[in-house]
Amino acid sequence: MTKPRVAFFDFSSCEGCQLQVVNLEEAILDVLKLIDIVEFREAMKESSTKYDIAIIEGSITRPIDVERIKKIRERASILIAMGACAHLGGVQRMGNKWTPEENKAEVYKRHPGSEITKGDANPYFAQPRHRAVDEIVKVDATIPGCPIDSNEFARILIALLQGKKLPIPDYPVCVECKKNENICVFEIGGFCMGPIARAGCGAPCPTHGGECEACRGYVDHPHTQAHNEVLKKYGLTPEQIMNRKTMYTYRYVEEAKGGE
Amino acid sequence: MKIISKENFHAFVDSLIQEGSMNIEGVKAKEEKFVFGPLDSAKELRLDYDVTILSPKKYFMPQFETMMAFDSTGVKKPAPAKQKVIIGIHPYDILAIMQMDKYFFDTNVDDAYLQKRKNTTIIGMIPKNVSEKAFYGNMSQLFDSQPELAFDLMLADLGNKYAIMVGSEKGKAILAKAQNVTEATPEEAQQVQQMQKDVQQKATRDLKASPRAWHDLLAANYNSAVWKEQGDKCLGCGTCTLVCPTCFCYDVKDEVNLDLTSGTRIRTWDGCLLRDFTKVAPGEIFREKIEDRYRHRFNRKGQYLPDMLGFVACVGCGRCSSQCVPDIADPVELFNKLAEGGMVPDGPAFEQPAKIDVATISDTTNLYIPRPATLKRVEKVTKTETFFEIQMDDGQPLGHQPGQFVEVSIMGIGEAPISVSSAPGGNTFEMVVRNVGDVTSKLHALKLGDKIGIRGPFGTGFDVEGLKGKNLLFVAGGLGIVPMRSLINHVLNSRNDYGKVQILYGCKEPCELLFGNEIKAWPDKGAEHLLTVDKCPEGECWEGGIGVVGTLIPKIQFNPQDTMAIVVGPPIFYRFVIADLKKMDVPEQNIIVSLERRMKCGVGKCGHCQMNGIYVCKEGPVFKLADLKDIPEAF
Repeated sequence: MTKPRVAFFDFSSCEGCQLQVVNLEEAILDVLKLIDIVEFREAMKESSTKYDIAIIEGSITRPIDVERIKKIRERASILIAMGACAHLGGVQRMGNKWTPEENKAEVYKRHPGSEITKGDANPYFAQPRHRAVDEIVKVDATIPGCPIDSNEFARILIALLQGKKLPIPDYPVCVECKKNENICVFEIGGFCMGPIARAGCGAPCPTHGGECEACRGYVDHPHTQAHNEVLKKYGLTPEQIMNRKTMYTYRYVEEAKGGE
Repeated sequence: MKIISKENFHAFVDSLIQEGSMNIEGVKAKEEKFVFGPLDSAKELRLDYDVTILSPKKYFMPQFETMMAFDSTGVKKPAPAKQKVIIGIHPYDILAIMQMDKYFFDTNVDDAYLQKRKNTTIIGMIPKNVSEKAFYGNMSQLFDSQPELAFDLMLADLGNKYAIMVGSEKGKAILAKAQNVTEATPEEAQQVQQMQKDVQQKATRDLKASPRAWHDLLAANYNSAVWKEQGDKCLGCGTCTLVCPTCFCYDVKDEVNLDLTSGTRIRTWDGCLLRDFTKVAPGEIFREKIEDRYRHRFNRKGQYLPDMLGFVACVGCGRCSSQCVPDIADPVELFNKLAEGGMVPDGPAFEQPAKIDVATISDTTNLYIPRPATLKRVEKVTKTETFFEIQMDDGQPLGHQPGQFVEVSIMGIGEAPISVSSAPGGNTFEMVVRNVGDVTSKLHALKLGDKIGIRGPFGTGFDVEGLKGKNLLFVAGGLGIVPMRSLINHVLNSRNDYGKVQILYGCKEPCELLFGNEIKAWPDKGAEHLLTVDKCPEGECWEGGIGVVGTLIPKIQFNPQDTMAIVVGPPIFYRFVIADLKKMDVPEQNIIVSLERRMKCGVGKCGHCQMNGIYVCKEGPVFKLADLKDIPEAF
């Protein structure tokens, strides 16, 4: 079997997911027996325009990003969206709540009148709307999470090479949280997206004293209404519920609005 | 009854820890709650606990459990785990373990469970404190007297000392390692008895429906509005099943290493509240609505398992009640709601739970280990179906009956239930497999001489003896012809044993027709047949009818009263064909079907194939329609 040529590309992101790939450490040597990495800015200086698999980190934000991802899609036979930014639009997608002008005015308020905030003069600041990769081009596989889990990266790579369905569960984080024998986040006065968030991460956040923020997105059929009722019961106002539900998952809010 | 001072008991536990030959586990604090976990010192023990987050089920059927390891050389069972002592299990959790025993030793002995059970010493504890939601006092009403529990030792806290009841030779042997153990006085024994009574009293809630009445209450309320009302509040998160000491359902997954060859087959907890629980490879979900899944959980506990194995699968620990966030899992509240619609009479007392001596059970069943087999013939027969002839490597015939299935295993990919398509007998067997899932698509990529794993044959097939002398009408839709062919060939091989044989077979398009050459030989073998396709694309050659299979039924002559109709096809097909047959006055007693469900384990343990109270992998997949009258989930 000839090894597939794999290239990593980053868009609007912190590049933490690529770091998670590097964090495979010794296992990366085994990964390299399965694939040839031909471009990976975070780990090597070489680059290439010839690849079979493109792995994308980051959300698609500006017109120049749209052009770039389309070109990558043309070259790759398999395109993988890696991490919450590529999968859902990332935390930056919360910016879509306001207009680009409002965002610029807020971010650069200490520089009123700066050229940077005006119109489309600078292509790097042009109309930033945050989109997930699959809203622009066809995505063949998604590795969810913020950041992705190194082991899940390996599992998904293995499944792709085996021609198997990707091992990403369609049940909520509660399943894994319970298996870890955690005290329920709600019981200790916290807020949790676990009941509607897609598992597969092993519930590290509630296990280590945090709350699930649904960085892996929702299960296919989230019981959103029942979950809202629970949040209400635990004292959140509708506005607070909306705020808490938009950290990683504003995509769903936008999609629901679009569907109205 | 024995007595030991707390100081000496702690010294005893510490000496067991230091000795190191066994893992010593016990109840410890986890923030404000309690968990079972490994002990570094007896000081960690919190025997004053009320309830643990998870039950000791996790020791006998861990959350993640390696069933076997595999590599290019084959499959290996894991080495037996180290001996364990678990300290502080409350009586309700011991009752739950006894239910697990019954469940995992029934018919097919689950050797993975048995091995852990054998390796464990159970030290029980009479509860000192009772959690708010516990109702094991109510559950004790199931029995006329207190059941005899399967502990090795049982502790009761008498202030500065423990009373110890000895339940087994194993318990006696381990207690022999303790220092300064004395006989209890009659007063102390009396004190323990009183304590047991008091705790039962404390663990009694305002339950309006006696657990003896649950079975009939559930049966009477199958279509109650309560299920939808509660289901609407349900998160579908599976918590109630995961924390339950008497939920035994599991999933099995293959995990592969980066060499793409070696790995492990893992068993992990699953739950019937989860949406994918009943999902089969072609995509059907048999309990898609949350209210149906919510109802199933209660019915399984209060109706189905009592019918199947004689116990109510609830011990009143209250874990589901306290851990369900929308607060809808509490059996006390649910049964009180059902009872509002009118009480049903109290049932008789339940039989005492059996105290099974695990030492006497053989653990060499290898229930989950696939046997190696070789592909002897591989032929692509349609665009999506491939024919396989398979020989077991031990040279033995499969020994199946028509209508049975096998679990086909490809290590690293998984297992899939596949019907056997050949007649019984012979040293090889045959299957026709549609490419719909991971295992089947991998199977399609295999070549002559490649190895696969086989478990089985499993299930209840066609009653070939009972059908003797009868007229047979076969009605097959699509892939339904595959299991049916096993019976057709068997009947045609012993043609004189049966009456008239008529075969109706339909598929979507002519190119999907299976066994074309064999069909041509049917008339010479004494079988009348009619074929149909849903549609025939232009340019294709087709001599049979056009339309669904049901349209063929009025075209043949048969006496509905003395003909057995054997009907096999995809889920949607049954509703129509059964209605067509009934229109022709075929009695339900004369209609035989074979149903598809998610038969993950094949041996009646994993729970996925259950429809109402029936395990399709054991009692089916072949059923008489008349026997499915009270099984609304069948179609």
